[in-house]
Amino acid sequence: MTTDGREPVVNAAHTDRERSASRAFVELADTLVDDYDVIDLLDRLIAHSVHLLAAEAAGIMLADNHGTLRMVASSSEAAEFMELLQLQAGEGPCMDCYRTATAVGAPDLARDPRWPGFTAAVLAHGRFRSVHALPLRLRGDAIGALNLFHRIPGPLPADDLALGQALADVATIGILSERAVRRGTVVTEQLQHALDTRIVIEQAKGVLSEQAGVGLDEAFERLRSYARHHNLRLADVARRLLDRTLDASAFAPRPR
Amino acid sequence: MRERGRVTDDLVGLVGVAVGDRELARRVCEACVDGLDIDGAGMSLFTTRESRQTLWATDEVAMVLEDLQLTLNEGPCIEAATRGLPVSVPDLHHSVETTRWPVFAGEVAERTDAVALFAIPMRFGATVVGVLDFYRTTAGALGAVQWRDALAAAETAALLLLGQRTRPSDLVPGSDGEEQARTTDGHDDGWFSSALSARPEIHQATGMVLAQLGIGPEEALARMRAHAFTERRLLIDVAGDVVARRLRFTEEMR
Repeated sequence: MTTDGREPVVNAAHTDRERSASRAFVELADTLVDDYDVIDLLDRLIAHSVHLLAAEAAGIMLADNHGTLRMVASSSEAAEFMELLQLQAGEGPCMDCYRTATAVGAPDLARDPRWPGFTAAVLAHGRFRSVHALPLRLRGDAIGALNLFHRIPGPLPADDLALGQALADVATIGILSERAVRRGTVVTEQLQHALDTRIVIEQAKGVLSEQAGVGLDEAFERLRSYARHHNLRLADVARRLLDRTLDASAFAPRPR
Repeated sequence: MRERGRVTDDLVGLVGVAVGDRELARRVCEACVDGLDIDGAGMSLFTTRESRQTLWATDEVAMVLEDLQLTLNEGPCIEAATRGLPVSVPDLHHSVETTRWPVFAGEVAERTDAVALFAIPMRFGATVVGVLDFYRTTAGALGAVQWRDALAAAETAALLLLGQRTRPSDLVPGSDGEEQARTTDGHDDGWFSSALSARPEIHQATGMVLAQLGIGPEEALARMRAHAFTERRLLIDVAGDVVARRLRFTEEMR
């Protein structure tokens, strides 16, 4: 209630989003309690980020032990989008965000001269006009960044930035504590572990794509849906496919 | 912001240097002893195709440590290989590890003055190619910067070793090794840098070729590199063709 006794104006879309956001954080918190798989957690987190921040696409990049940024999770497993993400290992908002450990926005790439190579590739891709990178923060440093791609140009509103940063923080917690829960290890190993796991998943995508005769993105969907349905860790399912204890026929097509 | 460590930098400098497995292992181990706060290093191979074998140890103690572990089938090296995760034992005589490896810990105490042990798997995706082992005669963990360098060094060493073992000039019949070492490895055939940056196409294509031929990841990679070599193309482009289904590997193909 406001002071003059009238009902406050409530934006229906806004409260919907708050409800969705709460649900997202509850789900992510639940995941953190179990013996979870870091790639699976990040995959869920990316899906929430796209939905809650009305992004066209999103991806998480982590710095490896050489200081190179690598993709660990993406809303789209389509090769073209993964290439755009990986381009940022060279230049782009993600690299700047990682270097400075602060959010870096490019509200309108068509008018942004900062990263000519990256910008040209994004505009040529044709689906995005704005990119924002939010740091995965750790004690004043960054270990990587959450990247948000939007179709329509414009800055991210302050609310969205805050929500995006909260999601990025959950990603950091998830990456760093996954193995700390099991062993008293350090940051370096946890980053390496997340990146190694991603490689295993890429190889498994290749195997399933070949055996089932489907695209790499569909192969990932099947891996994920099998893991969730059988309550297994995504990385373990990928490993079983690689050592041939699981066969492509075990993976049902995605329900239409 | 992280920067590449000293040891890793040294190892990256070995790309394109055509040497045998043992010589490569020697250089990797020595670079580690030079750049890290350790007294000795050893490297053992763990591939499914062959039995495990020690490629190099920088001194007598490092050799005894490798021998003991491969013989007893326990210790940090074995654990790193089986679990695919690095193992750090800052003080072998005052930690829970001794209960995990009772025989090994006893032998180490009796036969060497090693106190701290570190074992890092050298991985390519889900495959552990080998293990890099370090020891020190004083207790304590490696510092964060050195540990990061050590992990990056093990990753780099894995790629170097894999590069070596899948080198196209050794696989393509009738090829002139010397000439090709220069034209492919000398220019790195895009293999090392794209593998190091974890370009997903390399790994996706490895998975696809592995399924096409019913072979392991290491051999799948070797087949792609050999193909790139004979066709005078970059590995990353061959991987791109595999992923785009413009190229299939068959038994007849070499």
